[in-house]
Amino acid sequence: MLSMKKINKVFKTDLVETHALRDFDLQVEEGEFVAVTGPSGSGKTTFLNIAGLLEGFTQGEYTLDGVNVSRLNDNQAARIRNEKIGFIFQGFNLIPDLNLAENVEVPLRYRGFNSAERKRRVEQALEQVGLGARMKHLPSQLSGGQQQRVAIARALAGEPRFLLADEPTGNLDSLMARQVMELLEEINRNGTTIIMVTHDPELARRAQRNIQIVDGQVCDFTLYQGGDEPQAARA
Amino acid sequence: MFTIKPVLSSLMRSRTGPLLLLLQIVLSVAIVANAGFIIQERLALMQRSSGIAEQSVLSFSLYNFGEKVNLPQQLKRDLEILRNIPGIKAATSTNMLPLSGSGWSDRFIDGPDPETAKSTPGFAWYLGGEQMVDTLGVNVIEGRNFRADELNHSITDSGMKALMSAPLAKEVFGEESAVGQIMYQGSDNQIEIIGVVEVLQGAWVDSDQFDYSVIQNIELNENRSNQFMVRADRRDVPALEETIKQALRAENPDRVIRNFNTLRELKDMSYAFHAVMAGMLSIMIILLLVITSLGLSGMVMFNIQRRTKQIGTRRALGARKRDIVGMFLVENWLICFSGGLLGGLLAMELGSQLMTLFSLPMMGWQWPAMTVAGLLVITTVAVLLPARKAALISPAIATRTV
Repeated sequence: MLSMKKINKVFKTDLVETHALRDFDLQVEEGEFVAVTGPSGSGKTTFLNIAGLLEGFTQGEYTLDGVNVSRLNDNQAARIRNEKIGFIFQGFNLIPDLNLAENVEVPLRYRGFNSAERKRRVEQALEQVGLGARMKHLPSQLSGGQQQRVAIARALAGEPRFLLADEPTGNLDSLMARQVMELLEEINRNGTTIIMVTHDPELARRAQRNIQIVDGQVCDFTLYQGGDEPQAARA
Repeated sequence: MFTIKPVLSSLMRSRTGPLLLLLQIVLSVAIVANAGFIIQERLALMQRSSGIAEQSVLSFSLYNFGEKVNLPQQLKRDLEILRNIPGIKAATSTNMLPLSGSGWSDRFIDGPDPETAKSTPGFAWYLGGEQMVDTLGVNVIEGRNFRADELNHSITDSGMKALMSAPLAKEVFGEESAVGQIMYQGSDNQIEIIGVVEVLQGAWVDSDQFDYSVIQNIELNENRSNQFMVRADRRDVPALEETIKQALRAENPDRVIRNFNTLRELKDMSYAFHAVMAGMLSIMIILLLVITSLGLSGMVMFNIQRRTKQIGTRRALGARKRDIVGMFLVENWLICFSGGLLGGLLAMELGSQLMTLFSLPMMGWQWPAMTVAGLLVITTVAVLLPARKAALISPAIATRTV
């Protein structure tokens, strides 16, 4: 599903060169639920941005769903983001001036679906996250957990091959975080590959696989089975 | 690329900024359309043909203050002197100067009984010699000019003959020929129309009857003060002032000779108010358009600042750069179209008020339409620049704290 080989990302200024990712290798199979953890500044967000084609990288090879996406132009990258990837952001990133249905509809419009198809998908996605009755509400009228479920609906409406979740429960209390996590697990059980960046070890433990990034490299590569502590070992 | 509904929804929910801008566009369209129309009206007035060789005709006034001067003889002699100056092609005395803002006017009646006769419209009433037609350079299109032997020297003389401007002839006689028609001034004075000149404007540029003129064969010769017009080649005109002064003073030094102006200079003075108004309105239009464009541009820049994360999120969700540019353009076009529609209605209402208050002609719908179209082009350019900047926002912003 996702294959990164020797990915390097270097941020350069006049004075300093920072290696955000260094010879980063990762394989994610279809249907996996992978949690990515690591300390602040370790390169988690850079990995997420590169995995989601939100930014480019300096060296290496990246194949997504069988397509080499290493050197795409802006329009090609936008199309793949729109068709294959669903994004869930820590701050929800809903558009405050649009109601829930319009928010979920945003990526569908960029995809060029007609009105009937957009309506069908919006209703289905909002139903799936339990907000089918609140389509005309504005984001400000919802709780944090509900807003994140709208963001998940927006990601699901395009029926992506995989979801990239950036601290999806970071702004939620524990009850809402659990609900959102359960929703993600259900989505994963339905066959969608999920990569989730999180600080929360408890959430990470609920994923099938945990990857720890330290200093821009994959540090830990453990398959969790029944709550075992992750083994510290360089991949 | 251009999706209207979500942009409209967004505008409707964040009303204050767009509403203020809408108001600005409504007022801009109403003011610019009417100002543009008034400028066009003024320019059209200024570009009307006077029928006169304006730059080749030099006018001046002459006052004889000598006690013993024989005024009729002096006038005759002065005209001879003027006509003999090298470069002068024709010269005439006149009671009024075209395009000068002051002059004589009169009306004819079509029968001897003032009670029953029908009056012509008012017209500029030129009294001059047989060389007036050549001096002005007007074109006789029907009939003839009067001869030297047909000249009168008082408005009460008999044997009056007149040339009429074609617009006046058409107004008075319709399709019938004016030549040979007899008109009256009071019950006694008959005037025979002997010719028609194509165009000859009067003295008052704002008059509705500016194109109605009559030249009558009266060379007034009992006045101490006379006005003259001489015709020369355009290139010779600047040197004529001194030549004329010297020649006339050599004949008789007891006179004041002054107010030398070409008819073009008189025309420019008469139209000065119109020119100033057109200039000021043009400046106002430019300022309004600049302010409106800056307003829109500013709103887009403010929105870019405010929506940086939203733009990044849209890019992350699959928006191409042109989708982002399109979003801002649609926003601009929606405001412009609605402002244009309301502004157009306001412009027409304002136009009808101006028509009533200042006797202006009614403005056509095409003026607001052209204004909206122009505004659309200008604001599109104004929005395009910041919108393109917005499109450069990285989708990676979506995952960063802004």
